[in-house]
Amino acid sequence: MNKKAVVTGIGVVSPLGIGHQDFWQNLVSGNSGIAPMECLDLSKYECKNGAEVRGLNTEEFLGRKGLKYLNKGTKFLGSSVKMALDDANLEIDEDLSNQTGILIGSSLGNFSQTTDYFHDIVRENPSELSPMQSYDVALNSSINYASVVFKLKNFARTISSGFTSSTDAIGNALKLIQNGKTNVIIAGGVEQISLDLYMIFYMRKMLAGANGTGSEISMPFDKRRSGFIMSEGSYVFVLESHDYAVSRGARIYGEVSGYGSVFAGNRNSDMGKRVEKAGNAMKKCIDDAGLSVGDIGLINANGNSGKLSDLIEAKAIKELFGERSKEIPIHSVKSTLGESYGASGAAQTASALLSIKNGLVPPTINYEEKDPECNLNIVGKKLEKEVNTVLINSFDLSGNNSCLIVKKYE
Amino acid sequence: MPRVVVTGLGLVISNGIGVKNAWDALMNGKDGTAELKSFDTSQYKVHRACEVKDFKLDTVFENETTANTIHKYTYTAAREALKDSGLSDVSGYDRERFGIAIGTLAGELPPFEYLLRKAPEDKANGFDMGVALTYPPSSITTLLSEDFGFEGPNMVSLNACSSGNHAIAWALDLLCEGKVDVMLVGGGELIPQTEFTHFHNLKALAPEKCQPFDKDRKGLVIGEGAGIMVMETLDFASKRNANIYAELKGYGMSCDGHHMTAPHPEGAGAIKAITNALSMARVSHEDVDYINAHGTGTPLNDIMETLAIKSVFKERAKEIPVSSIKSMIGHTMGAASAIESVVSCLAIKNGAIPPTIHYKTPDPQCDLDYVPNEGRELKVNCVLNNSFAFGGNNVTNIFRKF
Repeated sequence: MNKKAVVTGIGVVSPLGIGHQDFWQNLVSGNSGIAPMECLDLSKYECKNGAEVRGLNTEEFLGRKGLKYLNKGTKFLGSSVKMALDDANLEIDEDLSNQTGILIGSSLGNFSQTTDYFHDIVRENPSELSPMQSYDVALNSSINYASVVFKLKNFARTISSGFTSSTDAIGNALKLIQNGKTNVIIAGGVEQISLDLYMIFYMRKMLAGANGTGSEISMPFDKRRSGFIMSEGSYVFVLESHDYAVSRGARIYGEVSGYGSVFAGNRNSDMGKRVEKAGNAMKKCIDDAGLSVGDIGLINANGNSGKLSDLIEAKAIKELFGERSKEIPIHSVKSTLGESYGASGAAQTASALLSIKNGLVPPTINYEEKDPECNLNIVGKKLEKEVNTVLINSFDLSGNNSCLIVKKYE
Repeated sequence: MPRVVVTGLGLVISNGIGVKNAWDALMNGKDGTAELKSFDTSQYKVHRACEVKDFKLDTVFENETTANTIHKYTYTAAREALKDSGLSDVSGYDRERFGIAIGTLAGELPPFEYLLRKAPEDKANGFDMGVALTYPPSSITTLLSEDFGFEGPNMVSLNACSSGNHAIAWALDLLCEGKVDVMLVGGGELIPQTEFTHFHNLKALAPEKCQPFDKDRKGLVIGEGAGIMVMETLDFASKRNANIYAELKGYGMSCDGHHMTAPHPEGAGAIKAITNALSMARVSHEDVDYINAHGTGTPLNDIMETLAIKSVFKERAKEIPVSSIKSMIGHTMGAASAIESVVSCLAIKNGAIPPTIHYKTPDPQCDLDYVPNEGRELKVNCVLNNSFAFGGNNVTNIFRKF
């Protein structure tokens, strides 16, 4: 018999605010976090908009000690873990320390600091660089840092699977709880805007406005969409086995109950295959949760405003949900939040849990010109609705399709 | 719960390409260390590494450099492992139940380094289309999924020097849950100048050679390569009459939660990883007859690992042979524990264990049987394979004769 996994704490560092309260308030109000990027010099490039984290006072969460050695992603993750632990009212004593693991999805981790370090290496005498300069440059060093600071001694694992990284991390954490491996896991995702992240998307012409193809606006499922807006942040959850959470009297946001992942391929995959595999991922996830398609009350879409990816998702939803695809509400947080790459599945999970808690669906802003090929029930204005079961889609054009189910705790 | 077995192996390491060559080299104590060739080391105090030699690939990949890549190493080792297991052609199977998990520490960093070295003034010069496509670590598994037609879950494990064992542990869980039938798992690594500098400036690199557990050990030698295994449920393997190397009985994870780079001085995390692995595998102390050590050759690791082994196995610790193949192939970082897992399976299959070479002077603080300098014929039923990464990220796994 599988154990139930529930979420008892949420920590958010996002372009829409620090802490899940601000994040949610801006998300449901349709306030966009997207603006010209300040952390990068993009004078030579045509795509300039991004969704940056602003106003994070790291000291408030991590204290002052050693702060100057920490990189942006490490500060994001460390702060959000602290918020999630506080939110869950979970004190990591010695006993709990040995039981608690951390499992984070991040596509690039601290890669940009690794390459900054290399940039120093090629411009200076490498053997004279201080070892402290390489203190926080391992791809997984933000996770190592969190494990050291919060004494998470059960295990520390970082999963990188592109756009589905944090979806896969939360899915993995769900399974470890279900199978009774442990009672408490800090799970989620982190990604940071960097020149590296920008270049890999820019070169591949995935950003909104690339090639003069349209305006630099995130408009998921809208006919005028031309690409995504890059984003950053960290979204972390305290995931506990149901019995453990109840035994300590924890407040429960909701249950994570299903996960599925299917690879669609890229080089040799046509539209038909991509749609089929995205559908299979949703189906596997719904099956895994012991539910049927009819049980899904809300779809928290991958919809990142990508020309091809939104179309694939819309077609896959239509095929799987049939007639219901016209009724079931669908929204994308990426209209205001942007595409936070390896962290986006975790951002969507935060939104799904807060939809359930508050009975609200955040709007997909900028949805104005309907695309006849994406004729779904896109929620364009904030919607009051009791939400019981949310399907979260996380799709990557490189091939990975992963989904999660989040449901109301009853 | 389903049992999980290993049915195919593949290796690309500095002292041999292909399982047969590599095994012969390891058993003969062949050192893969040589002058480092892929970048200029004149500004460093150390000039040696364990690079893969004479590597050729008969396949051309789109958008990839002529330089060696993790994709090329893992592709080569994976192709060997799949052929070995009889799964070169997977078209008749439900391929959504075939997944991939690969560990790496640095990913495909050298192609970026190569470009930026030529035009160092602007970091953006390190990116071209090839780099943009392969730079996200996930390209390693998505490319392999495409190459071999796998359509199930895939992920890259970014867990520094225990990345390979994390990937194997993740795959074992998926197989035990019944979500997949076959997992292609392992690790791959190159030698980025970035990581070389990182270890160099931490004074972790040995100038000449890697001497694990020797009193005069001076650090690790950086290495590269790939180790890949085909893992599947026993049911699936039996139905297709697959040749079985060993059974993967379990893993144990832990995290020191102690320091970003130094291991816990008393090996608390290592002890926990080993204990957890024994417990999940339902294997007793008496059953373990070979330990494939993490054995990096750094002063701290080798003392810590010895302490941890003694603490878990008590008096029996001195009877169990413990060897480190890092003495021959260097520290292949994210690939290391995967390569060592392949070698653990070979030890069981071939009834022999590779030596720890360059072992001359015993260290009173490292007083176990390290299989010095000569490989040993030995009936091996049960192997414990340790990996202890920077940041105190530990994963130990246990293979048993099937």
